[in-house]
Amino acid sequence: MSAVDAPTIPHATATPAARAWRIVRLLTANPATTVGWPLGILTLIFVMNWTVWWLLTRAVGPIGDGETPDGVRFNGAVSFIFVYMLVVAVQAANQSFPLALGYGSTRRAFSAGSALAFTLLALGYATLLTIGAWFEELTSGWGLHGNFFRTIYFATDAGWPAQWWIYFCWFVFFFFTGTIFAAVFVRWRATGLSTAFALLGLLVVGLLAALILSDGWAALGETLAALGPLGVASLALVPGVLAAVVGHLLLRRATPRS
Amino acid sequence: MSVIRVQNLSKRYGRSSGAVQAVAEASFTLDENRIHGLLGRNGAGKTTLMQLLTGQEFADHGTIEIFGENPVENARVLDRVCFIKESQRYPDDFRVHHVLSTAPRFFADWDADFADELVERFRVPVKRRMKKLSRGQLSAVGVIVGLASRAPLTFFDEPYLGLDAVARQLFYDVLLADYSEHPRTVVLSTHLIDEVSNLLEHVLVIDEGRIVIDADADELRGSAIDVVGTRTTVEAFTAGREVLHRAHLGSLATATIAGLDEAGRAEARAAGLELEPVSLQQLVVRTTGDTPGGPADRTNGGRA
Repeated sequence: MSAVDAPTIPHATATPAARAWRIVRLLTANPATTVGWPLGILTLIFVMNWTVWWLLTRAVGPIGDGETPDGVRFNGAVSFIFVYMLVVAVQAANQSFPLALGYGSTRRAFSAGSALAFTLLALGYATLLTIGAWFEELTSGWGLHGNFFRTIYFATDAGWPAQWWIYFCWFVFFFFTGTIFAAVFVRWRATGLSTAFALLGLLVVGLLAALILSDGWAALGETLAALGPLGVASLALVPGVLAAVVGHLLLRRATPRS
Repeated sequence: MSVIRVQNLSKRYGRSSGAVQAVAEASFTLDENRIHGLLGRNGAGKTTLMQLLTGQEFADHGTIEIFGENPVENARVLDRVCFIKESQRYPDDFRVHHVLSTAPRFFADWDADFADELVERFRVPVKRRMKKLSRGQLSAVGVIVGLASRAPLTFFDEPYLGLDAVARQLFYDVLLADYSEHPRTVVLSTHLIDEVSNLLEHVLVIDEGRIVIDADADELRGSAIDVVGTRTTVEAFTAGREVLHRAHLGSLATATIAGLDEAGRAEARAAGLELEPVSLQQLVVRTTGDTPGGPADRTNGGRA
Protein backbone atom coordinates (compact mmCIF):
# COMPACT_ATOMS: atom_id res chain seq x y z
CA MET A 1 0.00 0.00 0.00
CA SER A 2 1.46 3.28 -1.00
CA ALA A 3 1.01 6.59 0.70
CA VAL A 4 1.32 8.47 -2.52
CA ASP A 5 -2.11 10.03 -2.44
CA ALA A 6 -2.08 10.68 1.30
CA PRO A 7 -1.89 14.34 2.27
CA THR A 8 1.64 15.24 3.16
CA ILE A 9 2.38 16.46 6.63
CA PRO A 10 3.37 20.11 6.63
CA HIS A 11 6.75 21.09 7.93
CA ALA A 12 5.39 23.33 10.68
CA THR A 13 5.31 20.73 13.43
CA ALA A 14 6.50 21.51 16.92
CA THR A 15 10.03 20.77 18.07
CA PRO A 16 10.57 18.05 20.71
CA ALA A 17 11.40 20.77 23.23
CA ALA A 18 8.13 22.57 22.52
CA ARG A 19 6.25 19.31 22.90
CA ALA A 20 7.85 18.70 26.28
CA TRP A 21 7.20 22.27 27.40
CA ARG A 22 3.46 21.90 26.69
CA ILE A 23 3.41 19.07 29.19
CA VAL A 24 5.24 21.20 31.77
CA ARG A 25 2.54 23.82 31.35
CA LEU A 26 -0.19 21.19 31.51
CA LEU A 27 1.16 19.78 34.78
CA THR A 28 1.54 23.22 36.31
CA ALA A 29 -1.64 24.73 34.86
CA ASN A 30 -3.04 25.12 38.34
CA PRO A 31 -0.13 26.47 40.41
CA ALA A 32 -2.17 26.05 43.58
CA THR A 33 -1.43 22.32 43.41
CA THR A 34 2.29 22.48 42.78
CA VAL A 35 3.18 25.67 44.65
CA GLY A 36 0.36 27.27 46.61
CA TRP A 37 -0.83 24.40 48.75
CA PRO A 38 2.56 22.87 49.61
CA LEU A 39 4.00 26.24 50.62
CA GLY A 40 0.89 27.11 52.58
CA ILE A 41 0.94 23.85 54.49
CA LEU A 42 4.69 24.11 55.06
CA THR A 43 4.23 27.59 56.52
CA LEU A 44 1.49 26.34 58.79
CA ILE A 45 3.67 23.46 60.00
CA PHE A 46 6.50 25.90 60.60
CA VAL A 47 4.32 28.22 62.67
CA MET A 48 3.10 25.29 64.77
CA ASN A 49 6.68 24.06 65.27
CA TRP A 50 7.91 27.48 66.24
CA THR A 51 5.05 27.80 68.73
CA VAL A 52 6.00 24.45 70.29
CA TRP A 53 9.68 25.52 70.58
CA TRP A 54 8.59 28.75 72.17
CA LEU A 55 6.36 26.92 74.66
CA LEU A 56 9.22 24.50 75.42
CA THR A 57 11.58 27.39 76.00
CA ARG A 58 9.10 28.99 78.33
CA ALA A 59 8.57 25.78 80.24
CA VAL A 60 12.06 24.25 80.55
CA GLY A 61 14.39 27.03 79.57
CA PRO A 62 16.34 27.53 76.36
CA ILE A 63 16.76 24.48 74.16
CA GLY A 64 20.13 24.05 72.58
CA ASP A 65 21.86 24.00 75.96
CA GLY A 66 22.94 21.15 78.21
CA GLU A 67 21.37 17.91 76.99
CA THR A 68 20.52 19.27 73.55
CA PRO A 69 23.54 21.28 72.52
CA ASP A 70 22.49 21.29 68.85
CA GLY A 71 18.90 22.12 69.61
CA VAL A 72 16.06 19.83 68.57
CA ARG A 73 17.44 18.09 65.51
CA PHE A 74 14.74 15.49 65.05
CA ASN A 75 11.84 17.00 63.25
CA GLY A 76 9.89 15.37 60.46
CA ALA A 77 8.01 18.50 59.51
CA VAL A 78 9.91 19.38 56.37
CA SER A 79 9.60 15.78 55.18
CA PHE A 80 5.96 16.56 54.48
CA ILE A 81 6.89 18.44 51.35
CA PHE A 82 8.77 15.47 49.94
CA VAL A 83 5.83 13.14 50.43
CA TYR A 84 3.51 15.79 49.03
CA MET A 85 5.62 15.96 45.86
CA LEU A 86 5.41 12.18 45.53
CA VAL A 87 1.63 12.55 45.54
CA VAL A 88 1.84 15.41 43.03
CA ALA A 89 3.81 13.13 40.73
CA VAL A 90 1.31 10.28 41.12
CA GLN A 91 -1.63 12.57 40.36
CA ALA A 92 0.12 14.19 37.43
CA ALA A 93 0.85 10.99 35.62
CA ASN A 94 -2.46 9.42 36.44
CA GLN A 95 -4.73 12.37 35.71
CA SER A 96 -2.88 14.42 33.12
CA PHE A 97 -1.71 11.52 30.95
CA PRO A 98 -5.18 10.80 29.46
CA LEU A 99 -5.74 14.49 28.71
CA ALA A 100 -2.29 14.92 27.18
CA LEU A 101 -2.93 12.00 24.82
CA GLY A 102 -6.34 13.43 23.94
CA TYR A 103 -4.58 16.68 23.04
CA GLY A 104 -2.38 14.68 20.68
CA SER A 105 0.75 14.34 22.78
CA THR A 106 3.01 11.32 22.41
CA ARG A 107 3.88 9.26 25.47
CA ARG A 108 7.50 10.15 24.87
CA ALA A 109 6.71 13.86 25.04
CA PHE A 110 4.65 13.26 28.17
CA SER A 111 7.52 11.46 29.91
CA ALA A 112 10.03 14.07 28.82
CA GLY A 113 7.72 16.90 29.83
CA SER A 114 6.89 15.49 33.23
CA ALA A 115 10.57 14.75 33.90
CA LEU A 116 11.34 18.36 32.99
CA ALA A 117 8.51 19.68 35.16
CA PHE A 118 9.59 17.60 38.15
CA THR A 119 13.24 18.55 37.73
CA LEU A 120 12.32 22.24 37.59
CA LEU A 121 10.13 21.89 40.67
CA ALA A 122 12.96 20.01 42.43
CA LEU A 123 15.38 22.83 41.54
CA GLY A 124 12.97 25.43 42.87
CA TYR A 125 12.08 23.66 46.07
CA ALA A 126 15.68 22.69 46.80
CA THR A 127 16.62 26.36 46.47
CA LEU A 128 13.75 27.40 48.70
CA LEU A 129 14.66 24.90 51.41
CA THR A 130 18.33 25.91 51.19
CA ILE A 131 17.38 29.54 51.73
CA GLY A 132 15.27 28.39 54.68
CA ALA A 133 18.23 26.45 56.07
CA TRP A 134 20.54 29.44 55.58
CA PHE A 135 18.12 31.72 57.36
CA GLU A 136 17.72 29.16 60.10
CA GLU A 137 21.45 29.20 60.74
CA LEU A 138 21.59 32.99 60.51
CA THR A 139 18.93 33.38 63.19
CA SER A 140 20.35 30.58 65.40
CA GLY A 141 17.33 28.41 64.83
CA TRP A 142 14.69 31.10 64.49
CA GLY A 143 15.77 32.63 67.76
CA LEU A 144 14.95 29.47 69.65
CA HIS A 145 17.61 26.93 68.59
CA GLY A 146 14.96 25.10 66.63
CA ASN A 147 15.78 23.06 63.55
CA PHE A 148 13.13 23.05 60.90
CA PHE A 149 15.13 22.82 57.67
CA ARG A 150 18.44 21.57 59.02
CA THR A 151 17.09 18.40 60.58
CA ILE A 152 19.51 15.57 61.16
CA TYR A 153 18.67 13.64 57.97
CA PHE A 154 19.14 16.64 55.68
CA ALA A 155 21.71 18.91 57.32
CA THR A 156 25.31 18.98 56.19
CA ASP A 157 28.32 21.04 57.15
CA ALA A 158 29.80 20.70 53.69
CA GLY A 159 28.58 24.10 52.55
CA TRP A 160 25.44 25.54 50.99
CA PRO A 161 25.85 23.95 47.55
CA ALA A 162 26.06 20.56 49.28
CA GLN A 163 22.99 21.46 51.34
CA TRP A 164 21.13 22.36 48.18
CA TRP A 165 22.25 19.13 46.50
CA ILE A 166 20.86 17.04 49.37
CA TYR A 167 17.42 18.61 49.04
CA PHE A 168 17.53 18.35 45.27
CA CYS A 169 18.41 14.66 45.29
CA TRP A 170 15.60 13.84 47.67
CA PHE A 171 13.07 15.79 45.59
CA VAL A 172 14.17 13.91 42.49
CA PHE A 173 13.86 10.64 44.40
CA PHE A 174 10.34 11.36 45.60
CA PHE A 175 9.03 12.79 42.33
CA PHE A 176 10.19 9.89 40.23
CA THR A 177 9.26 7.22 42.73
CA GLY A 178 5.80 8.75 42.41
CA THR A 179 5.81 8.48 38.63
CA ILE A 180 6.65 4.80 38.70
CA PHE A 181 3.64 3.94 40.87
CA ALA A 182 1.44 6.19 38.77
CA ALA A 183 2.65 4.49 35.61
CA VAL A 184 1.87 1.09 37.09
CA PHE A 185 -1.62 2.35 37.95
CA VAL A 186 -2.21 3.91 34.53
CA ARG A 187 -1.18 0.71 32.84
CA TRP A 188 -2.65 -2.01 35.05
CA ARG A 189 -5.05 -0.12 37.32
CA ALA A 190 -5.63 -1.26 40.90
CA THR A 191 -4.56 -4.85 40.25
CA GLY A 192 -1.18 -3.66 39.05
CA LEU A 193 -0.74 -1.32 41.97
CA SER A 194 -1.63 -4.01 44.52
CA THR A 195 0.79 -6.38 42.85
CA ALA A 196 3.50 -3.72 42.79
CA PHE A 197 3.04 -3.01 46.50
CA ALA A 198 3.01 -6.73 47.28
CA LEU A 199 6.30 -7.14 45.37
CA LEU A 200 7.76 -4.10 47.10
CA GLY A 201 6.68 -5.54 50.45
CA LEU A 202 8.34 -8.84 49.63
CA LEU A 203 11.49 -7.04 48.60
CA VAL A 204 11.61 -5.06 51.84
CA VAL A 205 10.95 -8.16 53.94
CA GLY A 206 13.61 -10.00 51.95
CA LEU A 207 16.14 -7.24 52.56
CA LEU A 208 15.27 -7.14 56.25
CA ALA A 209 15.65 -10.91 56.45
CA ALA A 210 18.99 -10.73 54.69
CA LEU A 211 20.13 -8.03 57.09
CA ILE A 212 19.00 -9.95 60.15
CA LEU A 213 20.41 -13.28 58.99
CA SER A 214 23.73 -11.78 58.10
CA ASP A 215 23.86 -9.59 61.18
CA GLY A 216 24.14 -6.73 58.77
CA TRP A 217 22.41 -4.09 60.85
CA ALA A 218 25.58 -2.73 62.35
CA ALA A 219 27.26 -2.70 58.96
CA LEU A 220 24.29 -0.88 57.44
CA GLY A 221 24.29 1.66 60.24
CA GLU A 222 27.99 2.24 59.82
CA THR A 223 27.66 2.59 56.08
CA LEU A 224 24.86 5.13 56.39
CA ALA A 225 26.77 7.04 59.05
CA ALA A 226 29.87 7.01 56.88
CA LEU A 227 27.91 8.22 53.88
CA GLY A 228 26.27 10.98 55.89
CA PRO A 229 23.25 12.94 54.66
CA LEU A 230 25.19 14.03 51.58
CA GLY A 231 26.18 10.50 50.59
CA VAL A 232 22.76 9.01 51.27
CA ALA A 233 21.00 11.75 49.28
CA SER A 234 23.38 11.35 46.35
CA LEU A 235 22.72 7.62 46.47
CA ALA A 236 18.95 8.27 46.41
CA LEU A 237 19.48 9.87 43.01
CA VAL A 238 20.23 6.42 41.57
CA PRO A 239 16.82 4.85 42.30
CA GLY A 240 15.25 8.21 41.36
CA VAL A 241 16.74 8.21 37.87
CA LEU A 242 16.04 4.49 37.54
CA ALA A 243 12.39 5.11 38.44
CA ALA A 244 12.17 7.82 35.77
CA VAL A 245 13.39 5.37 33.14
CA VAL A 246 11.17 2.49 34.29
CA GLY A 247 8.22 4.88 34.58
CA HIS A 248 8.62 5.86 30.94
CA LEU A 249 9.04 2.25 29.82
CA LEU A 250 5.75 1.41 31.56
CA LEU A 251 3.91 4.41 30.10
CA ARG A 252 5.21 3.63 26.64
CA ARG A 253 2.70 0.82 26.29
CA ALA A 254 -0.04 2.33 28.45
CA THR A 255 -3.50 3.25 27.20
CA PRO A 256 -5.60 5.85 28.97
CA ARG A 257 -8.71 4.25 30.39
CA SER A 258 -11.71 5.91 31.84
CA MET B 1 -7.00 11.98 -0.75
CA SER B 2 -7.39 9.70 2.20
CA VAL B 3 -6.42 10.81 5.67
CA ILE B 4 -7.07 7.47 7.30
CA ARG B 5 -6.24 4.08 5.84
CA VAL B 6 -6.89 0.97 7.84
CA GLN B 7 -6.14 -2.57 6.77
CA ASN B 8 -7.13 -5.78 8.56
CA LEU B 9 -7.12 -4.03 11.89
CA SER B 10 -7.88 -6.18 14.92
CA LYS B 11 -7.92 -5.57 18.64
CA ARG B 12 -8.92 -8.06 21.29
CA TYR B 13 -9.26 -7.57 25.02
CA GLY B 14 -8.79 -10.36 27.52
CA ARG B 15 -7.90 -13.96 26.90
CA SER B 16 -9.61 -17.19 25.83
CA SER B 17 -13.22 -17.50 26.99
CA GLY B 18 -13.77 -13.99 28.31
CA ALA B 19 -12.12 -12.31 25.38
CA VAL B 20 -13.85 -9.45 23.61
CA GLN B 21 -13.09 -8.80 19.97
CA ALA B 22 -13.33 -5.01 20.06
CA VAL B 23 -12.21 -4.51 16.47
CA ALA B 24 -12.16 -7.37 13.98
CA GLU B 25 -10.39 -7.29 10.63
CA ALA B 26 -11.49 -3.75 9.86
CA SER B 27 -10.41 -2.23 6.56
CA PHE B 28 -11.49 1.17 5.31
CA THR B 29 -10.25 4.54 4.15
CA LEU B 30 -11.57 7.96 5.13
CA ASP B 31 -11.14 10.89 2.80
CA GLU B 32 -9.74 14.26 3.68
CA ASN B 33 -11.98 17.21 4.52
CA ARG B 34 -15.21 15.34 4.99
CA ILE B 35 -17.46 14.63 7.94
CA HIS B 36 -17.48 10.92 8.64
CA GLY B 37 -19.97 9.24 10.92
CA LEU B 38 -18.82 6.30 12.99
CA LEU B 39 -22.06 4.65 13.93
CA GLY B 40 -22.81 1.64 16.03
CA ARG B 41 -24.35 0.37 19.21
CA ASN B 42 -22.80 0.81 22.61
CA GLY B 43 -19.88 -1.54 22.93
CA ALA B 44 -19.68 -2.00 19.17
CA GLY B 45 -16.05 -0.88 19.18
CA LYS B 46 -16.37 2.79 18.25
CA THR B 47 -14.17 4.19 21.02
CA THR B 48 -11.61 1.40 20.68
CA LEU B 49 -11.37 2.08 16.97
CA MET B 50 -10.81 5.80 17.59
CA GLN B 51 -8.22 5.01 20.25
CA LEU B 52 -6.41 2.81 17.73
CA LEU B 53 -6.56 5.54 15.10
CA THR B 54 -5.05 8.08 17.51
CA GLY B 55 -2.28 5.81 18.77
CA GLN B 56 -3.78 5.62 22.25
CA GLU B 57 -4.45 1.92 21.89
CA PHE B 58 -2.19 -0.67 20.31
CA ALA B 59 -3.40 -2.93 17.50
CA ASP B 60 -3.05 -6.70 17.72
CA HIS B 61 -2.51 -6.80 13.99
CA GLY B 62 -3.28 -4.84 10.89
CA THR B 63 -2.01 -1.50 9.71
CA ILE B 64 -3.13 2.05 10.32
CA GLU B 65 -1.96 5.02 8.31
CA ILE B 66 -2.96 8.51 9.38
CA PHE B 67 -1.71 11.20 6.99
CA GLY B 68 0.26 8.36 5.45
CA GLU B 69 2.08 7.33 8.63
CA ASN B 70 1.62 5.04 11.59
CA PRO B 71 0.11 7.19 14.37
CA VAL B 72 1.64 5.34 17.33
CA GLU B 73 4.06 7.68 19.12
CA ASN B 74 4.29 9.70 15.93
CA ALA B 75 4.34 13.36 16.89
CA ARG B 76 4.08 14.49 13.28
CA VAL B 77 0.73 12.76 13.01
CA LEU B 78 -0.53 13.38 16.53
CA ASP B 79 0.24 17.11 16.39
CA ARG B 80 -2.61 17.31 13.90
CA VAL B 81 -5.08 15.17 15.81
CA CYS B 82 -7.62 16.08 18.49
CA PHE B 83 -9.55 13.34 20.28
CA ILE B 84 -11.50 14.28 23.38
CA LYS B 85 -13.18 11.09 24.53
CA GLU B 86 -16.76 10.97 25.73
CA SER B 87 -15.35 9.74 29.06
CA GLN B 88 -12.32 12.06 28.95
CA ARG B 89 -10.52 12.38 32.28
CA TYR B 90 -9.29 15.76 33.41
CA PRO B 91 -6.90 16.48 36.28
CA ASP B 92 -8.82 16.80 39.55
CA ASP B 93 -7.54 20.31 40.18
CA PHE B 94 -8.65 21.59 36.77
CA ARG B 95 -11.32 24.19 36.29
CA VAL B 96 -12.77 24.87 32.86
CA HIS B 97 -10.40 27.79 32.28
CA HIS B 98 -7.41 25.50 32.89
CA VAL B 99 -8.58 23.31 30.02
CA LEU B 100 -9.02 26.36 27.82
CA SER B 101 -5.58 27.73 28.73
CA THR B 102 -3.65 24.48 28.20
CA ALA B 103 -5.35 23.26 25.02
CA PRO B 104 -4.04 26.07 22.74
CA ARG B 105 -0.47 24.94 23.43
CA PHE B 106 -1.23 21.63 21.75
CA PHE B 107 -3.02 22.86 18.65
CA ALA B 108 -1.26 25.08 16.15
CA ASP B 109 -4.54 26.26 14.63
CA TRP B 110 -6.34 26.96 17.92
CA ASP B 111 -8.76 29.87 17.62
CA ALA B 112 -9.09 31.58 21.01
CA ASP B 113 -11.85 33.96 19.94
CA PHE B 114 -13.86 31.08 18.60
CA ALA B 115 -13.34 29.20 21.88
CA ASP B 116 -14.56 32.21 23.88
CA GLU B 117 -17.58 32.55 21.66
CA LEU B 118 -18.41 28.87 22.13
CA VAL B 119 -18.02 29.10 25.90
CA GLU B 120 -20.63 31.81 25.86
CA ARG B 121 -22.97 30.07 23.49
CA PHE B 122 -22.80 26.76 25.34
CA ARG B 123 -23.05 28.64 28.65
CA VAL B 124 -20.11 26.83 30.19
CA PRO B 125 -19.08 28.15 33.64
CA VAL B 126 -15.34 28.70 33.15
CA LYS B 127 -14.51 29.01 36.81
CA ARG B 128 -16.18 25.79 37.82
CA ARG B 129 -14.14 22.67 38.62
CA MET B 130 -14.26 20.05 35.90
CA LYS B 131 -15.35 17.53 38.51
CA LYS B 132 -18.39 19.64 39.39
CA LEU B 133 -19.67 20.03 35.83
CA SER B 134 -22.88 18.38 34.78
CA ARG B 135 -22.68 15.69 32.11
CA GLY B 136 -23.86 18.19 29.53
CA GLN B 137 -21.34 20.86 30.52
CA LEU B 138 -18.58 18.25 30.42
CA SER B 139 -19.63 17.30 26.90
CA ALA B 140 -19.72 20.98 25.97
CA VAL B 141 -16.10 21.45 27.09
CA GLY B 142 -15.09 18.50 24.88
CA VAL B 143 -17.03 19.97 21.98
CA ILE B 144 -15.43 23.40 22.47
CA VAL B 145 -11.90 21.96 22.54
CA GLY B 146 -12.65 19.81 19.49
CA LEU B 147 -14.08 22.71 17.49
CA ALA B 148 -11.64 25.45 18.54
CA SER B 149 -8.63 23.16 18.05
CA ARG B 150 -9.31 23.22 14.30
CA ALA B 151 -7.15 20.09 14.23
CA PRO B 152 -6.83 18.75 10.70
CA LEU B 153 -8.22 15.47 12.04
CA THR B 154 -10.77 15.90 14.81
CA PHE B 155 -12.61 13.09 16.55
CA PHE B 156 -15.85 13.70 18.39
CA ASP B 157 -16.81 10.76 20.58
CA GLU B 158 -20.54 10.84 21.32
CA PRO B 159 -20.20 14.57 21.91
CA TYR B 160 -23.87 15.18 22.65
CA LEU B 161 -24.17 13.15 25.88
CA GLY B 162 -26.12 15.13 28.43
CA LEU B 163 -26.55 18.08 26.07
CA ASP B 164 -30.10 19.34 25.73
CA ALA B 165 -31.77 19.60 22.35
CA VAL B 166 -30.80 23.26 21.97
CA ALA B 167 -27.13 22.63 22.72
CA ARG B 168 -27.06 19.60 20.41
CA GLN B 169 -28.51 21.63 17.57
CA LEU B 170 -25.99 24.37 18.35
CA PHE B 171 -23.16 21.84 18.08
CA TYR B 172 -24.40 20.53 14.73
CA ASP B 173 -24.88 24.05 13.37
CA VAL B 174 -21.53 25.35 14.58
CA LEU B 175 -19.71 22.24 13.36
CA LEU B 176 -21.20 22.58 9.91
CA ALA B 177 -20.58 26.33 9.68
CA ASP B 178 -17.01 26.16 10.96
CA TYR B 179 -16.28 23.12 8.84
CA SER B 180 -17.33 24.88 5.66
CA GLU B 181 -15.12 27.81 6.55
CA HIS B 182 -12.18 25.72 7.76
CA PRO B 183 -12.37 22.38 5.97
CA ARG B 184 -10.92 19.51 7.95
CA THR B 185 -11.52 15.85 8.50
CA VAL B 186 -14.06 15.11 11.19
CA VAL B 187 -14.94 11.72 12.62
CA LEU B 188 -18.11 11.83 14.64
CA SER B 189 -19.05 8.78 16.64
CA THR B 190 -22.67 8.66 17.56
CA HIS B 191 -25.70 6.53 18.07
CA LEU B 192 -28.15 9.41 17.63
CA ILE B 193 -28.12 8.75 13.93
CA ASP B 194 -31.22 10.60 12.77
CA GLU B 195 -29.97 13.82 14.36
CA VAL B 196 -26.71 13.84 12.47
CA SER B 197 -27.69 12.08 9.28
CA ASN B 198 -27.86 15.35 7.33
CA LEU B 199 -24.44 16.32 8.61
CA LEU B 200 -22.63 13.18 7.55
CA GLU B 201 -21.01 12.78 4.18
CA HIS B 202 -19.69 9.31 4.74
CA VAL B 203 -20.78 6.58 7.09
CA LEU B 204 -19.00 3.71 8.77
CA VAL B 205 -21.15 1.35 10.76
CA ILE B 206 -19.38 -0.91 13.20
CA ASP B 207 -21.00 -3.88 14.86
CA GLU B 208 -19.24 -6.25 17.23
CA GLY B 209 -15.96 -4.88 15.98
CA ARG B 210 -16.74 -5.43 12.31
CA ILE B 211 -17.29 -2.72 9.74
CA VAL B 212 -20.69 -3.65 8.35
CA ILE B 213 -21.38 -0.52 6.30
CA ASP B 214 -18.80 1.72 4.65
CA ALA B 215 -20.52 4.02 2.22
CA ASP B 216 -21.33 7.57 1.31
CA ALA B 217 -24.31 8.91 3.19
CA ASP B 218 -26.16 9.94 0.03
CA GLU B 219 -25.73 6.54 -1.46
CA LEU B 220 -26.96 4.92 1.75
CA ARG B 221 -30.03 7.08 2.05
CA GLY B 222 -31.35 5.78 -1.23
CA SER B 223 -29.94 2.31 -1.04
CA ALA B 224 -32.43 0.49 1.10
CA ILE B 225 -36.16 0.40 0.92
CA ASP B 226 -38.93 -1.28 2.86
CA VAL B 227 -41.45 -3.35 0.99
CA VAL B 228 -44.68 -3.87 2.87
CA GLY B 229 -47.51 -6.23 2.03
CA THR B 230 -48.97 -9.61 2.77
CA ARG B 231 -46.53 -12.17 3.99
CA THR B 232 -46.80 -14.42 0.98
CA THR B 233 -46.36 -11.55 -1.49
CA VAL B 234 -43.38 -10.16 0.38
CA GLU B 235 -41.77 -13.58 0.56
CA ALA B 236 -42.34 -14.20 -3.09
CA PHE B 237 -40.91 -10.80 -4.01
CA THR B 238 -37.84 -11.03 -1.80
CA ALA B 239 -36.82 -14.49 -2.96
CA GLY B 240 -33.37 -14.13 -4.46
CA ARG B 241 -32.89 -10.53 -3.26
CA GLU B 242 -30.60 -9.22 -0.57
CA VAL B 243 -32.78 -8.72 2.50
CA LEU B 244 -31.31 -6.73 5.37
CA HIS B 245 -34.18 -7.20 7.73
CA ARG B 246 -37.58 -8.86 7.98
CA ALA B 247 -40.49 -8.22 10.30
CA HIS B 248 -44.00 -9.57 10.32
CA LEU B 249 -47.18 -8.95 12.18
CA GLY B 250 -49.95 -11.46 11.57
CA SER B 251 -50.34 -11.84 7.84
CA LEU B 252 -48.47 -8.59 7.10
CA ALA B 253 -44.76 -8.51 6.50
CA THR B 254 -42.05 -5.93 5.95
CA ALA B 255 -38.72 -6.58 4.34
CA THR B 256 -35.83 -4.14 4.03
CA ILE B 257 -34.13 -4.68 0.72
CA ALA B 258 -30.73 -3.38 -0.23
CA GLY B 259 -30.21 -1.67 -3.54
CA LEU B 260 -33.63 -2.02 -5.17
CA ASP B 261 -33.38 -0.49 -8.64
CA GLU B 262 -36.19 1.21 -10.57
CA ALA B 263 -37.22 -1.99 -12.32
CA GLY B 264 -37.40 -3.74 -8.98
CA ARG B 265 -39.52 -0.95 -7.56
CA ALA B 266 -41.91 -1.15 -10.45
CA GLU B 267 -42.13 -4.89 -10.02
CA ALA B 268 -42.90 -4.45 -6.33
CA ARG B 269 -45.62 -1.95 -7.00
CA ALA B 270 -47.12 -4.24 -9.64
CA ALA B 271 -47.21 -7.03 -7.05
CA GLY B 272 -49.27 -4.77 -4.79
CA LEU B 273 -46.49 -4.02 -2.35
CA GLU B 274 -46.02 -0.66 -0.72
CA LEU B 275 -42.61 0.96 -0.78
CA GLU B 276 -41.32 3.03 2.11
CA PRO B 277 -38.02 4.86 2.43
CA VAL B 278 -35.62 3.72 5.10
CA SER B 279 -33.88 6.36 7.19
CA LEU B 280 -30.19 6.07 7.94
CA GLN B 281 -31.03 5.23 11.52
CA GLN B 282 -33.44 2.46 10.54
CA LEU B 283 -30.89 1.09 8.14
CA VAL B 284 -28.26 0.96 10.86
CA VAL B 285 -30.69 -0.57 13.32
CA ARG B 286 -31.60 -3.25 10.82
CA THR B 287 -28.03 -3.98 9.93
CA THR B 288 -26.80 -4.23 13.47
CA GLY B 289 -29.93 -5.33 15.35
CA ASP B 290 -30.07 -8.96 16.39
CA THR B 291 -33.73 -9.80 16.81
CA PRO B 292 -35.10 -11.25 13.59
CA GLY B 293 -38.82 -10.71 14.21
CA GLY B 294 -38.99 -7.16 15.45
CA PRO B 295 -37.28 -3.88 15.83
CA ALA B 296 -33.98 -4.04 17.58
CA ASP B 297 -33.60 -0.41 18.41
CA ARG B 298 -30.99 -0.59 21.04
CA THR B 299 -28.75 1.98 19.51
CA ASN B 300 -30.55 4.63 21.48
CA GLY B 301 -30.18 2.76 24.72
CA GLY B 302 -27.91 5.42 26.12
CA ARG B 303 -25.03 4.86 28.42
CA ALA B 304 -25.51 5.31 32.13
